[in-house]
Parts: sequence; structure tokens; C-alpha cells
Amino acid sequence: MCGIVGYVGDGNALEVLTTGLSGLEYRGYDSAGVALGNGRLAVYKRAGELAELEDTLEDVDADGVRVGIGHTRWSTHGPPTDANAHPHTDAAGRVAVVHNGIIENYAALREELSAAGVAFESDTDTEVVPHLIARNLERGMAPERAFRAAIGRLEGSYAIAATVAGSEVVHAARKESPLVIGLGEGATYLASDVPAFIEFTDRVIYLEDDQFARLDAGGAVVADADGAVLDPPVDTIEWDPEDAGKSGYDHYMLKEINEQPSALRDCLRGRIDGLEGSVHLEELAGLEPSGPIQLVACGTSYHAALFAAGMFRRRGIHADAFIASEYHADRLPVDADTLVVGVTQSGETADTMRALREANRAGARTLAVTNVVGSSAARECDRTLYIRAGPEIGVAATKTFASQQLALALVVAELTGSSHGLVDELRDVPDAVQTVLDTSRASEVADAYVDADAYFFIGRGYQYPVALEGALKMKEITYRHAEGFAAGELKHGPLALVTEETPVFALVTGEGELARKTVGNVKEVEARGAPVVAVSDGRTEVDRYADELLSVPEIGEIGAAVAANVQLQLVSYWVANSLGRSIDRPRNLAKSVTVE
Amino acid sequence: MQPPSAVVLAAGEGSRLRPLTEHRPKPMLPAATKPILEHVLDELCAAGVPEFTLVVGHGRRRVQSHFGPSYRDRPIEYVHQEKQLGSGHALLAAEDAVDAPCLVVNGDQIVDRQILGDVLDGHDGAAATLGVVGHADPSEYGGASIEDGLVTGLVERPREDGEYLLNAGVYVLEDAAFGAIRRAEPRAGEHTLTDGLAELIDAGERVDGVVSEGLWVDATYPWDLLHVADDVLADGRNVESGVDPDAWVHESATVRDPAVISADCVVGPGAVVGPGSCLGENVTVGANAVVEGSVVDADTRVGANATLVDCVTGRGVRVGNGSTVVGGPGDVRIGDRVHSGERLGALLADRARDGGGVTYAPGTVVGSSAVVHAGSTVRGTIPDGAEVRG
Repeated sequence: MCGIVGYVGDGNALEVLTTGLSGLEYRGYDSAGVALGNGRLAVYKRAGELAELEDTLEDVDADGVRVGIGHTRWSTHGPPTDANAHPHTDAAGRVAVVHNGIIENYAALREELSAAGVAFESDTDTEVVPHLIARNLERGMAPERAFRAAIGRLEGSYAIAATVAGSEVVHAARKESPLVIGLGEGATYLASDVPAFIEFTDRVIYLEDDQFARLDAGGAVVADADGAVLDPPVDTIEWDPEDAGKSGYDHYMLKEINEQPSALRDCLRGRIDGLEGSVHLEELAGLEPSGPIQLVACGTSYHAALFAAGMFRRRGIHADAFIASEYHADRLPVDADTLVVGVTQSGETADTMRALREANRAGARTLAVTNVVGSSAARECDRTLYIRAGPEIGVAATKTFASQQLALALVVAELTGSSHGLVDELRDVPDAVQTVLDTSRASEVADAYVDADAYFFIGRGYQYPVALEGALKMKEITYRHAEGFAAGELKHGPLALVTEETPVFALVTGEGELARKTVGNVKEVEARGAPVVAVSDGRTEVDRYADELLSVPEIGEIGAAVAANVQLQLVSYWVANSLGRSIDRPRNLAKSVTVE
Repeated sequence: MQPPSAVVLAAGEGSRLRPLTEHRPKPMLPAATKPILEHVLDELCAAGVPEFTLVVGHGRRRVQSHFGPSYRDRPIEYVHQEKQLGSGHALLAAEDAVDAPCLVVNGDQIVDRQILGDVLDGHDGAAATLGVVGHADPSEYGGASIEDGLVTGLVERPREDGEYLLNAGVYVLEDAAFGAIRRAEPRAGEHTLTDGLAELIDAGERVDGVVSEGLWVDATYPWDLLHVADDVLADGRNVESGVDPDAWVHESATVRDPAVISADCVVGPGAVVGPGSCLGENVTVGANAVVEGSVVDADTRVGANATLVDCVTGRGVRVGNGSTVVGGPGDVRIGDRVHSGERLGALLADRARDGGGVTYAPGTVVGSSAVVHAGSTVRGTIPDGAEVRG
């Protein structure tokens, strides 16, 4: 999971590439590098964050350099070192390559090249590519043909950019990793994602799988695997790159947590009719599933999928949520009656994309629920519902989870029928979240338990996925041990872990049987001396057993699941802040996981 | 002069507007349907200001989340004033973020492009230039005495009529002004901008005053939000009377101009909204309810058959079915002082709710999250979070 950039233009390659890399930092940040072409190739790369590379580049005179490629890396093969950073070159330094993805047959290729006398400088899978291209050049092939022939040898997933010394061309190819071309005036851009070059142009071409592109200053020529030139559509990006600013917050995560009320308004706007009490999703028109519904997702999105599956089931629809990387292993029966819903913030999550592609092949209908317009999921699924959360920069998903919850609630309502009660409930959610933001005591609770041995989260029904999400957020940004459980499972094992040093966050909302039973579980942990933090709407007696209270407004079950999660987001944030963690970029994690 | 970047002071709570300001600063209270501060930024844009520095403090997340990193393509830098120790202190907090000369305005009072333009045009060689208006009463505000275009005196709440014009809170400041603000002795722990300018005058520097006929509107007390809404609707430049395309208004409902119905609002059958009513985002007006001359903030629900006249609500208020706010004038207690005969039916702060069939006597103030039980008649001031049965 990396980000790549490329540029051919009129002479400020270095500036464009570093701007581009900083726009892609959310994709990974354990090393970064650029290759600049100016007759010969000059490569600069460093382990560490982009700032390290920028220090290295301070004294580089790059005036008039017209072509270059760059990379920000998140390790999949080999530790983050200067040598393992991209770009990679051949021995003569004639070819430079950057790559996002995994080359599955790299071991075999490396063996073959080593046997032919090629010396490798890094542990990466990528390094085979420049050597393959160089060997093709030595055999007399022109650069473009040498590039195509080398790509033809690769198995796996890739977005690749390469440049050859002495040319003012960037060659690119894509398979199952995102790659987008930007068309400027006298300059052409390439990147894993649009933020890399949105400052320079908003006209883009999304490269499809198995397509190649040849970029020069005048534009891009896109061709298929057989070399036939294509005429791909040019899209215009309409969102505001300024959204990437922190707006006075210390971290993007806190900014994004505080943006949730307006993100939720955007998610609902025009999709519910408060007079009729109905839901209208044009995106789903005519989609009347007759068979089971399978939701596939990873990480936080999986928790939103669990929530949606529960909503479907309560309305009598057979629905299940699957971890995308396990979906394949389960070998579930899928046919034309099945609706497969892929929930992915980025729309590029490799595991989710694989599941959706398999579902497409099996003839199922597919629906993408995603935040990114023009993403792979949006382009490859039969239908797409955008969650409209706006750009999310913090690696830990916050507002996109809340928007996924509401967007999926809309999907459930559209497919199973809505009511005045449901629409009124949905309309109350933004204010409920604003109330939590205005009144939360999460920072005090975080201070009280910052030194805990572990954090446990329990809930039932719609609050069960929230318990899982609360624990995931805590793990991601505090690096502390945290687990979420179905409250009823506590006494079937996890209770053995509960001590006076392990606060238990109990999600208790509503006044029904589920809430009352969770109160029973709270008594169990209280009896073991564990501190209890109740996330409560005050409708049960749980407040009496709690050491700390995090209030949510009285609201319906869906809103309660959104609002309770916001309290847990804030607790994780404040614990991580006290611990001085790298909140927006936790170690070992990247925003969009584009490798399986 | 060419419009420079602007410093907008938006950190103060506005304690005389409590309980509306519990979770947000005065600049984020609604002028019609948009925050006061948004009107200020709109006018700064119209005056050609290329970028903003917002000094934020009380309830700052509300400001930052509302405006984000830019407003109408002009970048915003936020400066956090941790303790609100006066306008001069706020400005010094922003000193590193701006270069002199800069335009300085209050984020909690509406000024229009004309005042801004007059002050910018009038700034010519002085260490500071400030805008004054002759058409508003300065007795509750700052006053400036002007002779031959020079400011000769600055006072707070001037008593005598005629001698002082109202300081509109619009300044162009050069470096020397920042130095004077820093030098001025704080009074009662407050570092005010006007004390700094007085210091500047005492030091023999030239401070010019520009008299403008432009629009200047302030809400000092909660009922002023009703007058501000009227002024803003009458002005029409930044808020237009009308129904947002994303609002849902039943065909049998009546909208009487002027009235603003924002996105996501629902107005039920037979309801009457206006004249002079402003509904924020996602407000519901139930069947046959009447909302007249009122400012109703976002996410508020007005029950069926309820009547609101001259009412100001915060966000997320729940007015039950058949409840009645009969309208002003009424006597309102703010702090230790009772204001008689003000146009205020009732003030219902954020998330106040009633159970229906409640009658609010004129001038009633209900604190945030307070609960009024069904069938009660209430008057006077109900504290935040209280439960009332009566």
C-alpha cells in the first residue's frame, strides 16, 4: 500500500513530485523517493516520512527537470530502509521504476535475473521490474516496448510507473491497483490518487486494469494490453482540495470527528422525504433482491457491514456480513439472486475488491457503498451509493464510519420499506451527534484510564458492532490492548481477563431486553472490580453501576449506535493524545489497504 | 488601499446572550439562518479581502467545523486564544499570523461591505484607521469622538449623547498599532483594542476615523436576534427570503414572506411559517403549527398545532404538540437586570424540550436541556437542565 506519482512537463518536476507525494502521504509513510530525468536519471530516496526526503532534497538543483517519478511506501516486502525505498533502478541507472501492489512471481523472476548475472540492491519485489526493462533495452527494444514486455512477465497486482534516461516520457501500467492520469496545460501527471495533483489540474483519466499509458508533456496515450490505442473518458474532479487542511485542529482525526454532524446531513440530504416518511435512493432503483444479501468489508467498514446485516435481518431479510479476506475462503454459494454489497471507504480495498470481482464473475448483483467517486469499487459494481462523507485524511476511520452507518440504514430502508418513524429517527441523528460533541466527557474519562492494562467494550444488538469498532479505534491509535465483545459472550471466556486495571466500556441504550441484559453483564464485571464506563442514554439503571458516564441523547436505535460510537472515538482520541501517539498516522497502518 | 488580509475576532462568548452561548460563541448564533460570522465573512469577501485569520476561543470547534480550512476559496488560518482577555489580547494572539497593515473586524457584529470599503479607502498614512457610524446608539457599545477626521477620544458606553459616534469595530492597523496595544496597561484584567488605540493617540500617532453610512447590526441580548433577522432579511444580500430546494413543504402549508426555510426542513400540512420567520437546517414544523416572527435554529422540532410568536430557539429544541409561545412584549431577566417590554415571546435554549400543551408567558427563558412537563404554564427564567412541572 503505497502511493506513486509521475510528471512530464515544462521543468519543475521536483516541486510537482514532492507536492504530489505529500498529497498521498495518507497511503503510507515509511519511506519516500523520487527519480528525476535530466539526460541521466538522479534518484533520491530515504526511509522515514516525506519530511526526511525533503531534507535530502533541499540542496538539489532541479531547475529545468522535465520528467520524474516518485513514491511513498508502506512496507510489504523488506523493512523500511533507504535501499528498499523506491524508485528502484537497474544496475546502469538507466531505468527507474515505482510500484504499488505486490508482484507475486517476483521470487522466480529474481532467481532468473540473478542467474543471468543481475545484482539486486534491495529486498523488494519491485526491483525485478527495472532489471527486466533494462534487459529488454539491451536486447534492442525501444523503451515503450521494453516496458510492455517487462510488465507482461509480472503476476500479481500493480500500478507501475517507469522512466528511461534520456527520454521525456513516463510509462505506466495498471492491474488491480489504482492509477489516475491528470491532464494539464503543457504538463501531464500520474498518481495513485487525485489529491496528488489536484492543485495543478482537475481533468483526469482513470486507468483501467490491464491498460498501459504513455505520458509526455502534451498528454497521455492509453492503450490496451495488445497495444490498441483507446479513447478513455476524461472526468472533471469537483471536490475541493482545500478540504485537506486541518482547520485549526491538532489532528485530522479530531477535525473529522467534529465534522460528523455535517457529513451526516450530506449523507441524508435529498434521500429522505420527511413529509411522506419515505426513503428515495435513485442509485438503487429497480434493485429488488430476491435472494440473500452478503455484505463484504474490512476493518471499520466491516463493523458498519455487521450493523447493516443486523438491520436487514430484523426486517426479515437473510443478510450476513463477511470479512472480505475470509469471504473467498468460505466459498459461499453466490448466484444471480444474490446481492453482494461491498462496503469500502476508499473503494480500492484490495480484499473487498477481490470479493466483489468474484461476485461479479459469479453473476451476482453488486452494490458498492463507498466514499470515493470514480474508485475501483464504484466503477466495477452494478450500483454505487456514495456515503458523501468528504475526504478523510486520518488513517483511523471516524466520520466515514458514521456515514457508512447512515448510508447503509438508507439502503436497508430502500430495500425493505421505510416509515415516518424511521425517517424521523434518521433526521434526528446529526443533532444527536452534535450533542455528544458539545457535551462529551470523553477527555476526562480518557485521563482517568490512560494507564489501564487493557480496554474492553461490550454491547448487544446494534451496539455490538459499535463495541468492536470502539476497540479497533483504541488499538489503532493508542497501540493499547483493546477488545470488543458481544456482551453475552463475556462470561464465556473473556471475563477471565477482567481485572481492576481493565476498564469495561458498556454500550447501553434504549430500554428493551437487550439493554437490560447488558446491564446484567455490567453487574458481572463490576463484581470483579473492573471500572465500568457506561455509554448510556439514561433509560436503564446502568448509570448506578458505572464509575464513569458518557451520555448520549435519547434517540432511536440507529442513532444511538452512531452517537455511542462518537463517544468511543473521542475516548480513543484523548487516550492516544495523552500518550503522544502519531494519531493521524499510526505505526504500521495505512489509510487505504490496496494489497491483499 | 488594496484590501489586505483580515483578522476576525471570534473568540468571545457573548455572556449577555446566555443561555444560547453555552456551546458556541456569539459569532455562531444565527442572524436569520446563517451564523453572524458567516455574514461578516461574506461581506469581507465582497470587500475583496483575500484571506482570513480567525481568532477563536469559546466554543471554537463550532467555528472550525463550520468554516473548515477556507471560506469561498479564501484560506482561513485559525488562531486559538485560550483565555478571552479582551479584543487587544485576541489581536496580539494573531500577530504572528498576519502582516501589517491588516483589516481587523469583530466576528460577532454584522458590518457590511460599505463600511469595510469606506475604512479601506480612508486609510491613508495613519497608524490606524477606524470606522464609526452615526446612525446607531453608542450607549451600549464603544464610542469615538472625531475631529476633522482624527480620532480624539475613545470610551466604552458613552453616557452623553451627541459627542460620541459608535465605534463600528472595523480597523485598519499598521505595525505601530500592534506595539501600542502591547504597551497599553490592561484594565480589570482585560486588554482591549480601544485601550491600545488610545495609547497610540497618546503617543502622538495619527488615528483616523471614517464615518460610514453602511449597515451595522449587533445582537446584545437574545431578543436582538429577532431584530437582526429582520434587518438581514430586509437587506437581502446574504440571506434571501425563500424555501430551499432541499426542504419539504406540504402543499397545504402557507409560507408568508419574508421567511427563510433552510435545507432538510419539513413543514407539515396546514402549517403557517412567517412573516419574519427563519428556520435553520432540518427543522420540523408540525401540522397546523404557526411560526411567526421567530428565529428557529437547526434540528428543532415544533409539534403539531403549536404556536411560536417572537420566539428564539437554540438547536435541537423540542416544542411539543399544542404548546404556545404567545409572543412579546415581555419582561426578561438577564443576569441581575430585568429588561421591560422587550419583544420576546420566549427563548428556548439548545435541546430544551416540552411535553406538549405548554404555555410560555411572554419573556420566558428556558435553559439548555431543560424539560417542561406537559400542560405546564411557565414564566420567568428556567435554569439549564432543570425539570419544570407547573
